[in-house]
Amino acid sequence: MLLLAPTLMPGPAAAPSGAPPPDSLVVVVSADNPLIRMDRLRLQDLYLGRTSRFADGRQAEPIDQAPGSPDRATFYATYLGRTLAEVKAHWSRIIFTGRGEPPREVPDGVALRKLVAGTPGAIGYLERRQLDVSVHAVEIR
Amino acid sequence: MSDGRDRPTGGAGSSSEPAASLVPADDRPRGWLQRRSAPPALFSLIGVAVLTVVWFATLNRIDVERSNARAAAVAATRDNLNTYEAQVVRVVREIDRTLKSVQYAYRLRGSGNAALRDLRARGLLPPSLVFTVSVTGPDGTVTASDVGGGPASLADDEVFRAARAADTLAVGRSVRREGAGEWRLRFARRLTATDGSYGGVAVVGVDASFFVSGYDTTAVGQHGLLGVLGSDGDFRVLRTGDRVSAGEHVDFASIVPEGETGEAEVRLSGEAPDGVPRFTSARDLYGLPLAVVVGLSEEERMAPAASLARLYRWRAAGVSLLLVFVLAVVGRLNWKIVRLRERESEVRIAYGRRVEHLAYHDGLTGLPNRSLLSRLVERHVSEARRYGRRLAVLFLDLDRFKEVNDSLGHEAGDQLLREVAERLEGTLRESDTVARMGGDEFVILLPELKDAGQAATVARKVLDALSEPVDILGQEFQVTASIGVSVYPGDGEDEQALLKNADIAMYQAKDAGKNDIRFYSDAMTSHTRERLALEASLRQALVKQEFELHYQVRRDVRTSRITGMEALLRWRHPELGMVEPMKFIPLAEETGLMVPIGRWVLATACRQSVAWVEEGLPRLAMAINLGARQFFDEGLVHAVRDTLVATGMAPELLELEVCESVLTRDADRTLSILRALKEVGVKITIDNFGTGYSTLAVLRQIPADMVKIDRTFIRAAGSDRVEREVTDAIVAMGRSLGTSLVAQGVETRDQADYVREHACNAVQGFFFNRPVPADELAALLRAEVTGPPPAEYSPRG
Repeated sequence: MLLLAPTLMPGPAAAPSGAPPPDSLVVVVSADNPLIRMDRLRLQDLYLGRTSRFADGRQAEPIDQAPGSPDRATFYATYLGRTLAEVKAHWSRIIFTGRGEPPREVPDGVALRKLVAGTPGAIGYLERRQLDVSVHAVEIR
Repeated sequence: MSDGRDRPTGGAGSSSEPAASLVPADDRPRGWLQRRSAPPALFSLIGVAVLTVVWFATLNRIDVERSNARAAAVAATRDNLNTYEAQVVRVVREIDRTLKSVQYAYRLRGSGNAALRDLRARGLLPPSLVFTVSVTGPDGTVTASDVGGGPASLADDEVFRAARAADTLAVGRSVRREGAGEWRLRFARRLTATDGSYGGVAVVGVDASFFVSGYDTTAVGQHGLLGVLGSDGDFRVLRTGDRVSAGEHVDFASIVPEGETGEAEVRLSGEAPDGVPRFTSARDLYGLPLAVVVGLSEEERMAPAASLARLYRWRAAGVSLLLVFVLAVVGRLNWKIVRLRERESEVRIAYGRRVEHLAYHDGLTGLPNRSLLSRLVERHVSEARRYGRRLAVLFLDLDRFKEVNDSLGHEAGDQLLREVAERLEGTLRESDTVARMGGDEFVILLPELKDAGQAATVARKVLDALSEPVDILGQEFQVTASIGVSVYPGDGEDEQALLKNADIAMYQAKDAGKNDIRFYSDAMTSHTRERLALEASLRQALVKQEFELHYQVRRDVRTSRITGMEALLRWRHPELGMVEPMKFIPLAEETGLMVPIGRWVLATACRQSVAWVEEGLPRLAMAINLGARQFFDEGLVHAVRDTLVATGMAPELLELEVCESVLTRDADRTLSILRALKEVGVKITIDNFGTGYSTLAVLRQIPADMVKIDRTFIRAAGSDRVEREVTDAIVAMGRSLGTSLVAQGVETRDQADYVREHACNAVQGFFFNRPVPADELAALLRAEVTGPPPAEYSPRG
């Protein structure tokens, strides 16, 4: 069932309206993570440091790709509707006032997959083609 | 009502007022009613006072609000400074810790790259999102960098040189990164290799705006200021409102207070680049070459206070307007009330004055009347007593006023009285008072007298003034008066005695021949006492049946036969004996006693006449005299008719004699009375013909049956030629009336001859017969019936 999930996902993952091509980026969690879908708002809150938990109350840890990564810009534009500059300004403020830390960064999608696969509450994003059994995509609504 | 308005004297004119006024004077303290309305100035005063209070309170409150807002702004500035200081210090310490971590790792690994990799892997580097961490070689060439894209060499950067020089935290200037809009601020520390040699520097770069990213409009407003200032006076970053800049140079010492530990000083300053005035405060960061500056826009901070101030001002303005309006309305109302009350009290005072004047003044002459005079005399007597002064009371009575009144009518009399009043006032001093006591009596009060001679002088002046002829209804009159004088204290101790004694003295003057002055003295009173006694007994005479009638016959001028008789009143006084008619008839006429006495005369004469006829004596005319009062008495015609019926007297035998002056006094009334009398059937005789100065036209209207020529003309007939001519004229006038003529008072043969010559119809007088009592006359009549008529006129009895 867990294995099936990624294969079943492509359809639903492509669902978000106004999203870039369905195949480009998917949000992923560890294959062990039972999370199948989540609200777009919660995803935003996780990546903007406004919450650190999934909807069911489990601890969540958002992972970012390196600032220079094109996937990063695509992710923020697609799922958060924000430019990187805006995101930076947002985190600058939080960091300066000491109210939070930005998501951990990894150099690229592969590194991210590796980190997410090995971290129970981790959540990240990568290109669809980078999916493998260690992680599964989460449907964002 | 006692307001001390007593004047020392009453004044000579109608202006005199009684001592106790009935009317509130103008200068009297106002009553409570008056006091309930306020003077108009009070309203302005209240207005100014309330406006002052309102505006004082408003401005005070605005002031309080302002200073509260300022205090709040100062406190907020301090709060923000404290917060900002804490944030900047924490961030800079973290950056320093990162640099120290790099120092450590470098020492261990001997390579910048390895060191950074280790640190990154252990999560010891700050978020790359904001910070860049790099390592340079000894010459400043960047050998390792946490994130790419930084400059290749920092050799020229000030921070590099500073870090190389000493192992302290070096803080660079903010530099504009080419191509990007951001200011880059770098912090650096010297690196030491494993062997202890200098290996380059570790650098942490950060966007300078990071230090002002905590700008929170809820805390510092839209136009607040946050800034990090280097101890060299260059701003590392400065945010004013939305604008972020760096590099501005200021005098560090003037902005940052030195060694301050307590509460930060807050100044109001407009020195920021945008010129916005702000509550500004700065603080040196402990152990770092940096300071933080915080500013809050004055305008923003004071805006609520300013709008409150505006609100309060509007409110105060509104209240002021309302107040002014209300006061204006109330003031106007009050003014109206005041005016109304003034008018009311004016009317009341005027009315009171009028009432008072009427009560204390004579309506005809406007002089003080008897009651006012009494008060004045009383007051002056008490003053004279207190100060040992003398005063005089002059009692003045016009001589023969009655005659003027009787002959010319009341109106003429009134005019004469007014003229007299005027002359009296004109003669006297201001301090003297002249009053009219009624009728033709006046009293003059001389309140301050040096001696009795002065009173005589005044009295003489008064007589002189009156002696000027008076023009009444086109006729000139000579007015005279008799004056009696009494002097306080000799002639009386009080008002009543003084007035009474002056009156007595006046009668003395009158009796002494009129137009004279008499001082009161005890010796002089006897005559007047007699007169008063006479009046008293006259009142009793009718009841006591002291009157009787004498009769004087009238004879035909030619045949000498008796044609009639005149009844003449006589008074037999029990003590004085027979009283002269001239003594008591004017008195009776004056006192009004003449009316009842006249009735008695009428009735007695009629009864006598009837008795004689019944006795068989000839039917003869019986004449009785009617005085003015009796003639104008409304009951006259009734009385005559009733008497005729009661006695059975034949009307045609009754002749009523009325003086010419009485008949011509009031033509209308006279004619209606005479007509009524003629209807009854009695005869009318004009008595004292020639003395009334009447015109023929007036006389012709009178339906007289007989004219009696006055004795003065008959008397004159016997004297010289000029006077006889007057008599001729009078007789001619009498004849022209076409009635029978009777000559009155024929006392001598000359007069009798004259009368006969001038063809009078009848004669009457002592020459023929003197008046005799009834029984004597009866005898005379009986003799006439039996004996032949006398051949010649000869006096009899």
